Amino acid sequence: MIEPYIELDDVSFAYERCAPVIGGLSLKLYKEQFTAITGPNGSGKTTLGKIMTGILRPQKGCVIICGRDSAGMKLGEIGQRIGYLFQNPGLQIFAPSVQEEISFALGLKGCSKEEIDSRVSRSLRDFDLTNLSDAFPFKLSRGEKQRLAIAAVLVNKPDFLILDEPTTGLDMERRRALSDILLGLKEKGIGMAVISHDRVFIDRLADRTIKMHGGEIVEDRT
Amino acid sequence: MKTGLKGLDPRSKLVLVLCLSTLGVFIQDIGILTAVLCVSIALSTASGSRLFVLIRKFRRILWLFVAIAVIQSIFAPSGRVLVSLGGIKLITAGGLYKGVAMVLRMSIVMVSATIMATSNSREIVQGLVQWKVPYEIAFMVSVAIRFLPLLTDEIKNVVTAVQLRGIELDRIPARQRVKVYSYLIMPVVSGAVIKSRELATTMETRAFRAYPKRTSYMVLTMQRIDYTVIITSLITSILTLILYIKC
Amino acid sequence: MTVPLEVRDIWYGYPGGKGDVLKGVNLAVERGEVLAVVGLSGSGKSTLCYCLSGIVPHIYQGNLRGQTLIKGTPTTSMKIPEIATRLGIVFQEPDNQLFSPTVEDEVAFGPENLCLSREEIGERLELALKQVGMEGFRFGSPNQLSGGQKQLIALASVLSLDPEILIFDEAMSQIDEQGKAGIKSVIVGLKERDKTIVMIEHDFDNLDVADRVLLLRDGVLQPFEGRL
Repeated sequence: MIEPYIELDDVSFAYERCAPVIGGLSLKLYKEQFTAITGPNGSGKTTLGKIMTGILRPQKGCVIICGRDSAGMKLGEIGQRIGYLFQNPGLQIFAPSVQEEISFALGLKGCSKEEIDSRVSRSLRDFDLTNLSDAFPFKLSRGEKQRLAIAAVLVNKPDFLILDEPTTGLDMERRRALSDILLGLKEKGIGMAVISHDRVFIDRLADRTIKMHGGEIVEDRT
Repeated sequence: MKTGLKGLDPRSKLVLVLCLSTLGVFIQDIGILTAVLCVSIALSTASGSRLFVLIRKFRRILWLFVAIAVIQSIFAPSGRVLVSLGGIKLITAGGLYKGVAMVLRMSIVMVSATIMATSNSREIVQGLVQWKVPYEIAFMVSVAIRFLPLLTDEIKNVVTAVQLRGIELDRIPARQRVKVYSYLIMPVVSGAVIKSRELATTMETRAFRAYPKRTSYMVLTMQRIDYTVIITSLITSILTLILYIKC
Repeated sequence: MTVPLEVRDIWYGYPGGKGDVLKGVNLAVERGEVLAVVGLSGSGKSTLCYCLSGIVPHIYQGNLRGQTLIKGTPTTSMKIPEIATRLGIVFQEPDNQLFSPTVEDEVAFGPENLCLSREEIGERLELALKQVGMEGFRFGSPNQLSGGQKQLIALASVLSLDPEILIFDEAMSQIDEQGKAGIKSVIVGLKERDKTIVMIEHDFDNLDVADRVLLLRDGVLQPFEGRL
């Protein structure tokens, strides 16, 4: 029996002074599967993604990552295993230039200069950002920010990826490029959960589709 | 419909808050200050503020208050020496008294501000507009006030984002941590500035200031309790001040 | 009769940017016409929206040549709030365009600025929320909505202004299928009322409501032939 990478056990979550967004949800995500999470606006998809990454902590139930209860894990610890892309990429970029955005974590983790350079330039190339490498990230267009945010997440080589609406603001060509990259990662054995409305994108990539409605899973198709 | 102090008009709250903070600023006596603080806490709770939630949230910076009291007493020594170190008067009775008064004063201002926070920004703006404050100024004030939460949001997002890149901030050495923080200041501030500029642009693209006048869909009406609160707080504060000055 | 929205040979580069983003854009959009603009990300579609709505040059200065005319009047001779009485724009990022504590305040903000009567503001508020299917969220806070719902509120806040010209900069990107179908029928309704509409789109599925599709590439507009 394969171990789930992320397991949610009877998880409930409500924002401060609000009705619950997620109510008693259980779910197992496997590294071997590419899982798509869909559902109408306001059905709790983003909240679910944030709970899985530990950005939001559930009031009830627990989230188990790699067999460990994540309640005892620091966000930084989870971040070493799981890469997360925010719905609004503007929320996760913070460096003064595009290339520093990508190299930021590598430097702090003690990678050698040569390794950083090669990984950064590779990543700039993959995401078509080479000619923007010195630009100020906040001034990029929405689509460029999106590509930068994904590049910065991937360069850390996480084991599992959670992407919230990764195709927003990307044109057709770049959506195709992104799905090629994700397919490549899948072959390398990186687990993935993608929150998306984009049916074409999902159909091409997903092995499993979870449909949410009103904070519950209404369909789970493999 | 909210009842009692919870349904108070923002204008009445404003008067109440101004009265409380005026008392806090003028009065030196620790006994009276403590009493004013107690009244502020009682009123804040009655108006439905989340005072205790906030205190719990900010409990980490409560030691700052103690630090202020100590610093105040070091720099303004007077009276009997309580603690000294190598001839330097560290804590004196007079200094300590002033320090405590200072802390009480700050607490009064902050606690009474939580009463204001029970109204949302639109209600406060509307209160000002109905008090004949020009609407441009009222809205500009609310935009300016919004900058602070924008900045804290931005900081929170960046700290989350950094950790999600697999960096355990409390594990890296202090010197490097300072470097990381200083590296992040510029983008955080400019991010908040850009965002507030975009919000201001959005307001203009929705015809803000197209005409010298503006209708308000929201209309505030004063109830009997509002008049009671305004009159009571004005009279009580004036009387307290007069008595305090005379005695 | 004057054309509602016209662009005459616009060249524009951001201050401090490398060269021009737009290199001689010409465009005229008629009453009752829905124009869609497609293009790669970074090709300057949002910049074009800024030029159409007067944000360039009023907010972003930079190097602008050529002019945008709204019903024959150049945008340079009007202030943004004045432009806003005729032209409404919905931006891409919903987080940066909601500023009110409740949904009701947000949607009422525009009509309030137009000095409409309270009754009419109430009617427009209800209609706009109904058009985007968010009536149930009227008294809630925009902050607690999901990304797609925020986009719907941003849209409603511009619909309530009821301008003659509407510009949607990828305004449906985070909205679900059902919501998109709703918005498309709103667009068709606006067209029937002779409004002028420009929509920037990535999603080719949404192009069916457009009368004309143009491609923005290398800084100029050209006919769209199915490939970016």
